[in-house]
Amino acid sequence: MKNRFEWLWPVAGFVSLIVLWWGLIVVRDVPKYIAPKPGAVWASLVDNASLLLDNLWPTATAALGGFIIGNLIAVILATIFVHSARARKMYFPVVVVFNTIPIIALSPILILIFGLTLTSKMIVAAIICLFPTLVNMLRGFESVSSSELELMRVMSASRTEVFLRLRLPRSVPFLFAALKIAATSCVIGAIVSEWIGAEKGLGVLIIQTTFDYRTELLYAAIAVSSALALVLFMAVTLAERFLVRWRTN
Amino acid sequence: MTSNAFTLDDVGVTFETPDGPLIAVQDVKMDVEKGRFVVLIGPSGCGKSTLLRVLSDLLPASKGTARVFGGSGAQARKERRLSFVFQDATLLPWRSVLENVRLPLQVGRWSRLKREANDPAEMVRLVGLEGRENALPHELSGGQRQRVAIARALVTRPDVLLMDEPFGALDEITRDRLNDELLRIWRETGTTIVFVTHSLSEAAFLGQTVVVMAAKPGRILDVIELDARKPGNEIDRTGEAFFGITSDLRHLLERADAA
Ligand SMILES: Nc1ncnc2c1ncn2[C@@H]1O[C@H](COP(=O)(O)OP(=O)(O)O)[C@@H](O)[C@H]1O
Ligand SMILES: [Mg+2]
Repeated sequence: MKNRFEWLWPVAGFVSLIVLWWGLIVVRDVPKYIAPKPGAVWASLVDNASLLLDNLWPTATAALGGFIIGNLIAVILATIFVHSARARKMYFPVVVVFNTIPIIALSPILILIFGLTLTSKMIVAAIICLFPTLVNMLRGFESVSSSELELMRVMSASRTEVFLRLRLPRSVPFLFAALKIAATSCVIGAIVSEWIGAEKGLGVLIIQTTFDYRTELLYAAIAVSSALALVLFMAVTLAERFLVRWRTN
Repeated sequence: MTSNAFTLDDVGVTFETPDGPLIAVQDVKMDVEKGRFVVLIGPSGCGKSTLLRVLSDLLPASKGTARVFGGSGAQARKERRLSFVFQDATLLPWRSVLENVRLPLQVGRWSRLKREANDPAEMVRLVGLEGRENALPHELSGGQRQRVAIARALVTRPDVLLMDEPFGALDEITRDRLNDELLRIWRETGTTIVFVTHSLSEAAFLGQTVVVMAAKPGRILDVIELDARKPGNEIDRTGEAFFGITSDLRHLLERADAA
């Protein structure tokens, strides 16, 4: 059995770094508008709880919406590509090229089209999720062995059956690997989009507090963003633990 | 209607490779009567797997004709009269033992065929895995996984069971036990079995007919009928008769090498 105090190690890791942070600021006498002490950030987190929550929701909605849309589109595209070599030859390179456009450059374009809306934020978050999931799903769908395919063929299984009974279940671990990447990157997408332009959200708060030298609140906003990504990541991890019990031999 | 499960007439298979055409097998003439236990033996690369793939319509013959129950292989495959057991058990790792055995009844229009199936749970019992119905493949040993593969192959009550070195990766003790059970299952079901191996003792123990093959190019060297030497296809692994058959096969294979 694993030691039940195993969780103390990462906690100790975090605490040691926070102490180091605090120590550096005290020793070097860093002014608080440049870098605040950990205690001050915590105080700011508590004092501004309602302001932070108010800005968390729009970001969380955009991130989660983008997560769902982006991954769904990625899975659908992978499904199409695995069934049609021609579609794949035509459109996979398009996706690759599209993926090279810096997300920060894409944001203004979307804002011009959709305005300062939730939609444009969601699209940015979706785009940032799409490529890793598409690539992973394609690999997952293709990670079937030749004897598995022959088995299906001896049983006269149709293409749909091969997909549903073989390729799809086979790809689930690949899907979760991709979803773990997407869980953090969708939050980045939402925040980047809010930097370019939005009325509300953690990204807006981060930009405003930077320019106003409200450094404690800036750090608090960053902590909340990170917590949002962490919650999404843990949700994915839990879902995986629940759904994937099998192992390849 | 013939009483043959298979009739191969002058079958040849040629693969196009970067080094030019490669003759995997040639001039194969073979009749397999219904209900027989046929063993194909030969050195690796002599086209045993290729021949099984032709029989099961996984691969078209480049030359000659292969008929299954007097019809085409494709027809037999669509009617689900064939089952295949591969060297690696090829179980779906996310499915339990019972769900793996059920797979053949869930695909390939099985329900439309209106054929009678075996009870999957009964098949799990037949291969001696009672009590492990809910285990996942990674929780089983290699021998147990191969048992599941056999149960899965039998669930559709196939007329023919094609087995490509199914016990090749197992230790000899497990292999002997599975051979005993395979013979028992063969007697109980009356299925025609075509079994590929490169083990002399496995061939001597299982086969009523042993087809000895040679490589480069892959071809049939000799066909040995063992009915007279193995009444009822039963033989004692420690007896004189068994050693006689094994050494005959060895001589044939050595001659194949020399040729
Ligand atoms: N798909 C393929 N493409 C090219 N050559 C093949 C292919 N499958 C088998 N071969 C060749 O055909 C020959 C017979 O192969 P195989 O039937 O697998 O032999 P065995 O099962 O007796 O070991 C070998 O030389 C092998 O390299
Ligand atoms: Mg082979």
